[in-house]
Amino acid sequence: MTRLSSDRAVQDDVIRALADAPYRASADWQRRGLADPGRVERYARFLARHFYYERIVHFFKYSRALARVTDRAPEAILKSPAFDALLPTLVLGSRETAGAVARLVTAHVAAGGAPVPYLADLLRYEEAMMVVEAGPRVWRDADGGGGGGSPKGVPAGPGERYRPETVEGTVLLELAFDLPAVLPKLLQPWTAVPQAPERPTSLLVARSPHGRVTVAKSDESVAAVIELADGKRTLEELAAGAGVQAAELRQTLQGLVDLGAVRFSTGS
Amino acid sequence: MRNAKLMVGAFYNPHLGRELAVATGIDHLAMADPPAASDAWWPAIGGRYTLLLHDYLGQLSEPLDERSIQRARALADLYRSPWVAEHFQCLHTEDGRYNLNYVFPPLYTEEFLDRFVRNACALKARLDQPLVMENIPGFFDVKASQMPEPLWLHRFFEATGAGFLLDLPHVWLQAHYHDMAAERWLAEFPLEHVVELHVAGVEDDHDLAGPWIAPAEPSDEMLAFAAHAVSRCPRARAITFDAFSPSLTAEVLFRSVERIRGAL
Repeated sequence: MTRLSSDRAVQDDVIRALADAPYRASADWQRRGLADPGRVERYARFLARHFYYERIVHFFKYSRALARVTDRAPEAILKSPAFDALLPTLVLGSRETAGAVARLVTAHVAAGGAPVPYLADLLRYEEAMMVVEAGPRVWRDADGGGGGGSPKGVPAGPGERYRPETVEGTVLLELAFDLPAVLPKLLQPWTAVPQAPERPTSLLVARSPHGRVTVAKSDESVAAVIELADGKRTLEELAAGAGVQAAELRQTLQGLVDLGAVRFSTGS
Repeated sequence: MRNAKLMVGAFYNPHLGRELAVATGIDHLAMADPPAASDAWWPAIGGRYTLLLHDYLGQLSEPLDERSIQRARALADLYRSPWVAEHFQCLHTEDGRYNLNYVFPPLYTEEFLDRFVRNACALKARLDQPLVMENIPGFFDVKASQMPEPLWLHRFFEATGAGFLLDLPHVWLQAHYHDMAAERWLAEFPLEHVVELHVAGVEDDHDLAGPWIAPAEPSDEMLAFAAHAVSRCPRARAITFDAFSPSLTAEVLFRSVERIRGAL
């Protein structure tokens, strides 16, 4: 057994082994000899199915509501050979794994061929929600409540020093149907499938550092800011690139910061 | 001897709100999640039940931050909860990179005992209600642990004065996977500190190739185990059917509570 520096570090190593299948298979983990490998593997597979059951039930809840017409329960993929084949590659909570599992779900539900005109848009939306939620998160604020060190709002005064940066994982969705108009209806009792108006709709999906996923309607200026905010352009450069006034940009940025879509890095 | 005022209840499952809002024979509901804004049954539920705060507040291997403490205080206030529950769990890494999203026990070591005692005392000092802590099962032993779980728990409760939320299926599973009699294993635990008990069903899990907690009715064996445990917990005030899942049916919930009540 190889010694780590503290019991907390040993605990982290066990948690990583349970969450990260490639690490679990590595010589680094196996040489530690911390636990029975067969039992660890069985428990890790149990945790993986539980982890993605919770996320599929939550993020694909609208597809679940449509299951009586699609005849395809999204969570059914967890008992499929395709999910079993993913098990040796899974890293619980990673964006790559969230994407791989979400793609299994969307393929499964879409294959039902149900006559729901907006089903393809809905599945893209649900997949985006699940992938955006993934990734490392802040579990507790730093002492003093300062958070991750970036200002929480748009900095006041000259913007030369502060450079907005789109948070990794933020997604812009261009849809053919107005999904926000139909989503609440899907969760209410219905007999005929609720219909979504067919009109182009842009949605922004973002996640806060603490893991809260938010969806907001987007427009051209929001899309431009999301595309251009690279942590290098100043506020003035961003306003010019997006074709908006500085005051309007500040307002847009404040909304994006609140959603978790944009953060500020200091250029100094 | 059984406490005559022992409450018998269940978890609030929002998809069963309609049935729970008019149910009889249930003394309390444990709250695993805050009520959703869209939950039409919440006002009726909140108005008629004793509610027990049983949310994820944080893992006490680290100190809770101010935001988490304020959330715990707000929920305890909203529910008028007689006590606040947390788990002996350490399920995400310190850097936040890996997260199991499922209760997972800490190493039973001096270092972790010190961490949990310190952070539980800090949380207790910020709550207006007593803190109770729930035992968590391990499917495998980690060789770095330094003492048996019951001894670690004895020392934790002596040091903190917190209450014990005794999860009986967790004890039963630990005994099962260590090939021990559940009653013998239970006798090792600090039962004098128990405030609340959890009872649930177990079912065979394909991945584990053995039993694990499931949103199912408790077996006759589990109910007999519960009756045995209650008779040894002189300070127990509540026993809760521990099932919280979208797949749980009203029939299973109500019949389980009725059978628990009948077994005591």
